[in-house]
Parts: sequence; C-alpha cells; structure tokens
Amino acid sequence: MKERSIVRFSILIFWTFFWALSVVDKIIPDVHNLWVGKDFFALFVKFFGSLGLKNPIFATSALAVVSALEVVNFVFYLLAIINFAKRKGDVAEKWFFRAVFASMILFSLFSIADQVFGDRFQLLEHGLFWLILIASWFLFKYVPNSEDNSISFKGSKGFKLALVISFVLTIITSISIVNFSNKTFSNVDSPVTGQEVVSGVYKFNFPFLADKLVWEKTINNFKKNNPDLKVNYIYTGPSELNSKKKTHMLLYVFTEKKN
Amino acid sequence: MQEKHGTKVPTNQLIRYAILFYWSLFWLFNIVDKFIGGSLFLWVGRDRFAQFQKFFASAGLESPIIANAALVIAAGLEVFAFVFFSGALIYFLRKKQESARSWFFVGIIFTLITFTVFSIGDHIFGDRFELLEHTLFWFLTLFSWIAFIRLNKNTSPQPLLQKKQLVAASLASFLLVSITSISIFNYNSNYFHRRTDALNAEKVGDNIYKVEFPFLGGSTVFEKSIGKFKKEYPDKSINHIYTVPNPLRLKKADGLIFYILTEDKK
Repeated sequence: MKERSIVRFSILIFWTFFWALSVVDKIIPDVHNLWVGKDFFALFVKFFGSLGLKNPIFATSALAVVSALEVVNFVFYLLAIINFAKRKGDVAEKWFFRAVFASMILFSLFSIADQVFGDRFQLLEHGLFWLILIASWFLFKYVPNSEDNSISFKGSKGFKLALVISFVLTIITSISIVNFSNKTFSNVDSPVTGQEVVSGVYKFNFPFLADKLVWEKTINNFKKNNPDLKVNYIYTGPSELNSKKKTHMLLYVFTEKKN
Repeated sequence: MQEKHGTKVPTNQLIRYAILFYWSLFWLFNIVDKFIGGSLFLWVGRDRFAQFQKFFASAGLESPIIANAALVIAAGLEVFAFVFFSGALIYFLRKKQESARSWFFVGIIFTLITFTVFSIGDHIFGDRFELLEHTLFWFLTLFSWIAFIRLNKNTSPQPLLQKKQLVAASLASFLLVSITSISIFNYNSNYFHRRTDALNAEKVGDNIYKVEFPFLGGSTVFEKSIGKFKKEYPDKSINHIYTVPNPLRLKKADGLIFYILTEDKK
C-alpha cells in the first residue's frame, strides 16, 4: 500500500469515528452501562438559562439543530470513507470536502455560541478543532503525490528485529502493568490511614484510585479507632496544597476530645 | 563569501533529526510511565492504571482485568511506535534516508492509531479535555509526517553566524543569564522559607480569621499555620475552613486564601 493512501485513510477514519460518536452521544443523553459521554442537554439548558431563556424548549431546539448538523456531518464522512474503500478516490475527495466544510460551519456556530455564552475555554477548543479540520483537508488533498512511497519491509532483518524487540518490550511492560495493578487495586476499597499533623488534626493522603466508598470507609474506620475523639470538621485540601496535581487528594479531619 | 562563515549547517536535516528525536523520546517516556505505574523518587508521572480503572468503572466495568487489558493494548501500541521511531532515528543517523522514511512512517501509523483509539475512548468516557488533547496530538503526528517528507530535499546549507555576531550574541546571552541567575538565587535565599513557614491568621470578623498563602505554600504551610493558630487561640475551636474560590480571587495575583471559622470552647 502507498503511504499517501494510508495517511488519507487514517484521516477519514479519525473524523468518521469523531462524528459517529458525537451523534451517539446525543442519542444516549445520560450515563449508561458502557457509555458515559457528556450531558449536552444539561450544558445547553445552563447556557440558555444564563441568557435568561429558562424555558427548556430553547435548549432542546438548539440541541436538536446541532444533532441534525452532526448527523449530516457524519453521513458525509461515512460516504467519503465508503467511496475511498471502493477505490473511488475522486468521489471520496468530494464527499470529504463536503464533510470538512459542514464541520467547519458547525464549529463556527459553536464558536459564535461560545462568545455569546462567554465560555472562553470552549471557544479555544472549538477554534482548535476548526483549525485541525482545515489542516486535515489540506493534508488529505495535498499529501505529496509525486513523492509517494510504497511501504515494503520484505526480507528486512531490521524489521523482523524491530518486531521481536517490540513484542519483548510489550510483554515486559504488560507484566509491570499487571503487577502494579495487583499491588494497588486494593486502594479501590481500603480505608486510608490518617496521620496526626497538628494536635487534633489528622491528614489523610487519598490515592488516585480512591473514590467515595474509600472516603466513607476511612471516616468510619477513623471513628472506630478513635472512640474518644469527636470529628468537628472535615476539610478537603484544595489543589494548591497538593504537589501531585490531580493524582491524589488531601483530606484533613479536625477533632477534639469528647467530654 | 560563505566560506568565511565557517561550518555550514543543513537546516532541513536538523529539523528532520529534531522530529525523529522528539517522537522517539515522547514514546520512550510514555512507556517508562506505564512501566513505573505510580510515583517514585525522581518520577511522578501519571497513575494510568488508576485513570483507566476509574474510566471503565464509570462505564460499569469495575473489574481490573478490563483496565489492565486496555492499558496493555495502549502500552503495546506505544512500544511499537517507539521502536519504529527509534529505528528511523538510527537509520537517519547512518544517513540511510529511505529506510529512515519507511521506519518513520510505520511509527507515524502506530501513533495515529493510538491517538484515534484514545479519542474514541474520550468520547465514550465523556472527557472533552482529553479529546482535545488527543486530537491535537493526532494532528501534530500528521503534521510531523508532512514536515518530515517535505524537508527531504537538501536546501543550500545555511552558514553559521559571523564571528562578530557570534561574540556579541554570546556576550549578551552571558549577561542576561547572569542577571537572571542572580535574581533567581536571590529569590531562593530570601523567600524559600515561604515553602515551610507558618502563616499568621488575621482577624477579619467575629470568630473569622483570614490566612493568605504565598504561591510557594503547600500542605506543610497549611498544617503549620493551623498548628500556630491553635497555639495562639487555645480557647477557640475550629468548626469550619472556607477556601476562597477562584472567582473571588484577584485573577492570578492571589494565591490560596482561606478563612478559619471558630467558636469559643465550652
């Protein structure tokens, strides 16, 4: 296979999945088994609510329009990839252009909305997607034809060696991953042990794996082990106190002796 | 004329070398991160097992086998990408341009597959920030490929700077580096104590005390400050700590601010 075809196919695959899953996200509005997604309805309701349009009909209509545009996008990408698979390169290029153009319109609309609703982070996000779309089109159309190479490693000792090294490294890394998982999985439901950092103040260093169940177990365990203490207050350390950024959580429990 | 300028540098080849070096290191450190798993001395990294476990648990798949399997597949793709980028780098250093290109292309394909799979995961798990991150990396991968193949022709080598310019640039750089270093070391000598010193609590209302953190402050400062407060006000009992949220802070000028709310001990 030629490099050019593989790159073009990769571009089509990426954007087809991108829009297919965006449509699925609209069809499945809530968290379900095997699907979390994003609650766009809640997001739209909040956005329109912030404008003073509290009637859900506005959010619902806007979401319906967006979903319809996303479906159109997806269909265009799907037609592009089908035609590409059938080796109809010119037709695929036409459909891909329509798809990219439709996506750019959609991201332009999103960007307008981001400005109206004052969401600068989403504006950056949509602006970047818009730019990547243009770049995708540019790369799809102008991947140099004249410099196209065929991929062939037939009989290459280096290639065989690379495969062996890759498999060995994958096995070593996998063993390490499974070992680490076995060692740390107990953090999912083990209570965290506290450390008295100031008289009557206990610090709990929560691992990244911990969740609300660990919190409950930790507090209950602490109360059981310290029956003479009364928990006055629990303080969640903000990110500024946390040197490991998002990977763990600090909890302080303020206590005093029971009378 | 160019002969007077000394060594000539083929800029296209330097950029190509930089591209290969970047992607080889990028995947090498990703693999090391997977291999280590958690935090160690001199390595923080990211606990990917915990991240994957939480993602799959949020979709109702709580068994660690699923997270392990996904992580092994991700690690496998990264290992293959790393090996092919490293191979490309080796061939490139040996001046075997065609082989380097083929190896680099296979590395690019593994990288594209990796980021496409990650993006699908981001949709499923509803992580829009990671979707943007992975889409950007996907694009960087494609862009790297185009840049690499477009720079395959040797342009006329660019001469190095003239001697006078080189001396002037070196002097200016040395001067600026000295000034910056003095300032940094000076700040370190005068202000590093902020990393550990307890802070004073300022009374701002009835049973309300304000503590303003310096940017250097962390959990040690917090704990020492609470200890100091308890020592200074032994008759007060802390019943709440209110962390000032970001919208109430002066943009980036304010560090962490919190209020200690107390009541008199009975």
